[in-house]
Amino acid sequence: MPARQPLLQLRAIAKRFGAVTIFEGVDLEVQAGEFVAIVGESGVGKSTLLNCIAGLDTLDQGTVHIDGVEMSALSETAQALARRRLLGFVFQAFHVLPHLSVAKNVALPLLLLGRDEPQRVEAVLASVGLQGMGGRLPQTLSGGQLQRVAIARAVVHSPRLILADEPTGNLDPDTALRVLDSFGEQVRAGGAACVLVTHSPAAAQRADRVLVLEAHGLKAHRLKQS
Amino acid sequence: MRIEVASLLWQLSWPELQHHIWRHLSAWFAVVLGVALAFAVHLINESALGEFSAAVRSVNGQPDFELRESHRAFGGGFDETLYARVAAHPQVVLASPVLEIETYALDAQGRRVALRILGLDALVAAPMSLDLLPRPAAGEDRLAMLDPGAIFLNGSARRRLGDTGTLTVGSAAHTVALTIKGSVAAQGPPLAVMDIAGAQASFGALGRISRIDVRLASGAQRETVLRELALPDSLRAASPDESGLRISNLSRAYRVNLTVLALVALFTGAFLVYSMLSLSVARRLPQLALLGVLGLSGRQRLTLVLAESALLGIAGSLVGLALGAGLAALALRLLAGDLGGGYFPGVAPTLHFSPLAAAVYGLLGVVAAIAGGWLPARAAQRIAAAQALKGLTPAGNAGTSSRWAVAALLAAGALALAPPLLGLPLGAYASVACLLIGGIAGVPVGVKLVLRWVPAPRGAVGLLALERARHQRQGATVAVAGIVASLALSVALTVMVGSFRGSVSTWLDQVLPADLYARSATSSAGAEVNYLPADMLAAVQALPGVQKAIGQRVYAVQLDPARPAVAVLARPLGEPAESLPLVGALLPAAPGDLGVYVSEAMVSLYGAAPGTRLQLPLPDGRLREVFVRGVWRDYARQHGAIAIAAADYQAASGDTRINDLALWLRPGAELAQVQAAVERLVGAPGLLDFASAVEVRATSLRIFDRSFVVTYWLQGVAIAIGLFGIAASFSAQVLARRKEFGALIHLGLTRSQVLQLVALEGALWSAAGTVLGLVLGLAVSVVLVKVVNPQSFHWTMDLAVPWGRLALLCLAVVASATLTAWLAARASARGAMALLVKEDW
Repeated sequence: MPARQPLLQLRAIAKRFGAVTIFEGVDLEVQAGEFVAIVGESGVGKSTLLNCIAGLDTLDQGTVHIDGVEMSALSETAQALARRRLLGFVFQAFHVLPHLSVAKNVALPLLLLGRDEPQRVEAVLASVGLQGMGGRLPQTLSGGQLQRVAIARAVVHSPRLILADEPTGNLDPDTALRVLDSFGEQVRAGGAACVLVTHSPAAAQRADRVLVLEAHGLKAHRLKQS
Repeated sequence: MRIEVASLLWQLSWPELQHHIWRHLSAWFAVVLGVALAFAVHLINESALGEFSAAVRSVNGQPDFELRESHRAFGGGFDETLYARVAAHPQVVLASPVLEIETYALDAQGRRVALRILGLDALVAAPMSLDLLPRPAAGEDRLAMLDPGAIFLNGSARRRLGDTGTLTVGSAAHTVALTIKGSVAAQGPPLAVMDIAGAQASFGALGRISRIDVRLASGAQRETVLRELALPDSLRAASPDESGLRISNLSRAYRVNLTVLALVALFTGAFLVYSMLSLSVARRLPQLALLGVLGLSGRQRLTLVLAESALLGIAGSLVGLALGAGLAALALRLLAGDLGGGYFPGVAPTLHFSPLAAAVYGLLGVVAAIAGGWLPARAAQRIAAAQALKGLTPAGNAGTSSRWAVAALLAAGALALAPPLLGLPLGAYASVACLLIGGIAGVPVGVKLVLRWVPAPRGAVGLLALERARHQRQGATVAVAGIVASLALSVALTVMVGSFRGSVSTWLDQVLPADLYARSATSSAGAEVNYLPADMLAAVQALPGVQKAIGQRVYAVQLDPARPAVAVLARPLGEPAESLPLVGALLPAAPGDLGVYVSEAMVSLYGAAPGTRLQLPLPDGRLREVFVRGVWRDYARQHGAIAIAAADYQAASGDTRINDLALWLRPGAELAQVQAAVERLVGAPGLLDFASAVEVRATSLRIFDRSFVVTYWLQGVAIAIGLFGIAASFSAQVLARRKEFGALIHLGLTRSQVLQLVALEGALWSAAGTVLGLVLGLAVSVVLVKVVNPQSFHWTMDLAVPWGRLALLCLAVVASATLTAWLAARASARGAMALLVKEDW
């Protein structure tokens, strides 16, 4: 039986800022539906790694393939189109647009794909516990609610890969747990792969695999094994 | 604990200024420019007026009063035997008879130069005014001043006419040759002095004098002396500085209008300060919020921002005053103090620096800057610290802004209806200010209303831009207030100048029906000296090539000593509705009534509305009651004119002289040939000034355009400042919204799409601002055309809106603003777009 094509494939990627090597020799394969957490010390380049995967930062070496598409070989515009179709993002600071209602924030990825699906938006809002709040403006929401909006926006267009950076970093522990539950459910329900960067053991525990980013590559972490 | 504002300025504001030095410099420069322009206009006007008054004093000397005719402004004069009675009064120390002649002299090229000649008894005039003492040239007889054929010129006349030889001077339908034998020190426009007996003989005024300058004994009561002299009613005691005051009154509206125009630059400067500080406060919101948490009170934050704006104002004012003084000195050298109004002829003023005016205009600059900083300072005072620290921007209070807008617009309407104050349209100026303030306060509501009509675009970028433009319309105030204000002023000036030009053009067509015009006197003041005999008209009519010719008699009357003379025009009127540019209906004159037609200035200055009666002074000094039948438009004589049918005038006065000719040529007749034939008929070259209707029309419109060229510059400055507001606002927004743009990049927008988004927002806001600016500008133009002009200059005009030009102006503003927003966004987001959320990862 032939091996499945990995959804995300990193081959020997390296990133340097001038003479300083942030990381190098990073290899990773993530299958569809797989949830991978990446941990590591501050400053080791976790966020930069996510930028490189998304094509938002340039690689100094190696290749990135998402769903068979070599991101690192695409033009800036083609990368943007690929991000639009393939990726979903969740940020630590939510990054919801203050002048758009909750529903319009969530519908943004659909809008960029030329899709007008208000029912889908409502359904996703309901699935993250924000039913009936689509008309509200972000200023009126709590931090936990804002992150749910961000999660809904990340999954609404059924992306193949979700990239999340400390999605609970700005939340209190109880809220963080509820948001993580919601996040996990959404990721698995859509069948998307997910790469999560976090410092939180509680967040990492929800992943199928936990890897540690070091200067010379990714290594399996004992957290999950224990 | 007390926190020193100076310390906060040093610790917080100085780094901010260094970081955005160009933005601060531009706001500073706007204050500099506003103060400089306003101060320069003030200095130029005051210097010119001061110089003119000095010239008047120099010519009039220092009598206690002048005895002159009550109603006749020029010419005629009264019996010189009165002089002996005045001089013999025991309380009169000195009495000097003067004959004033307003005429012209021919220069070396045979061109006519307006010249005022004073006939004096040099021996008694000298103690009254040394500047009028004739000074014989080297080699001339010391008693040359008594030579009846000798004339002495002031500096201005010598420059125009030369200082030796024979001078040809106009007198009635011939010229007089006088010998230049020296000079006088009197300042001002071209002036000559000669012996009074010689002047009487040369200009047909034997036994007549125009005025007697009187100096009284110490302690003598003027009223008592006048009573004892028992002067005829036709004479009055006038103040020697009367003509200076008249010029001051006449030019005041023009000077105030110029100052208000110059203050527009300061107004837009205040806007730039507002835009710059609003953005500065928005950018420093988290910093100010943090300081609030750490103990900096709202009042201290308010004080900090106001102190920043005050410092900007002080720095701008100081440099503005220096620049203004420099500009004024330059303008006085290049333009001789005439800023287009033509009120100070022949005056070459030097700069009169006034510390008090400097203080007032400097203070205005500081007040404008503080006014510009007030709203941002209030925003800093009212920061919701928790929201700001979370990075959320509080929504503005649209309700309060709308209430201000409605209140200001209502006040504008009421003020526009106010009558003039001190002869100035102060209510109308306040109305324009209220319109601008109300319009700008109403920007959020206006943007909402305008954008409601924009259909939702299908593309994501268009939708995002429209949503943001609609939702963040409080931010639109900062971004497009400059556009609204500058476009409103541009539209208002365009409509006002266009309306004025259109009305002047139509008026010229009506008042210039003939092909060729000839004028004997250079002004109505000289009409008593330079005229044509009555039989000349018939001779001209008989010339080959002349189809029709009419004559016009012009003379000046003094209806109010405080105002300039009024011109009386007597000519065949035929059907007045066709020969005069009438405004409103004509009233029928009752049998026996002498009907006249007055210019609009007569109605506002003398209350001579149709149906009223006036005492019209005739050239022989008698008064004749006349009935005002109608009002006509006259752009040539701001101080008033009275038209009367020639036949009625001749019947009432017996005066058949004519001053001007209007000639209609036969088909195929050559203008030059007819002109030469008339000159031959008159007998001497230079006795008449000729101009074709085409020449008069072209010259008039050229002078008009030159007078208003300054408004085009002001429009350019205003629009540039408005665009700068857009640039400053959008570049700051891109910086403030970098995380938002970063998130959009993550969601799949390209860099160019983000720039498109900003440009589209710029287009939407500037389009909304343009619509508001256009509406506001039209409202301001109505106030300018219907209130400011009639109250300032006493003439009306027809409102004409040049829609095509306004449409082009609006399109240019939207295109420029969109491009400016795009360029500002590109410059602010250069190279960093892809990693805008990096700090978050």
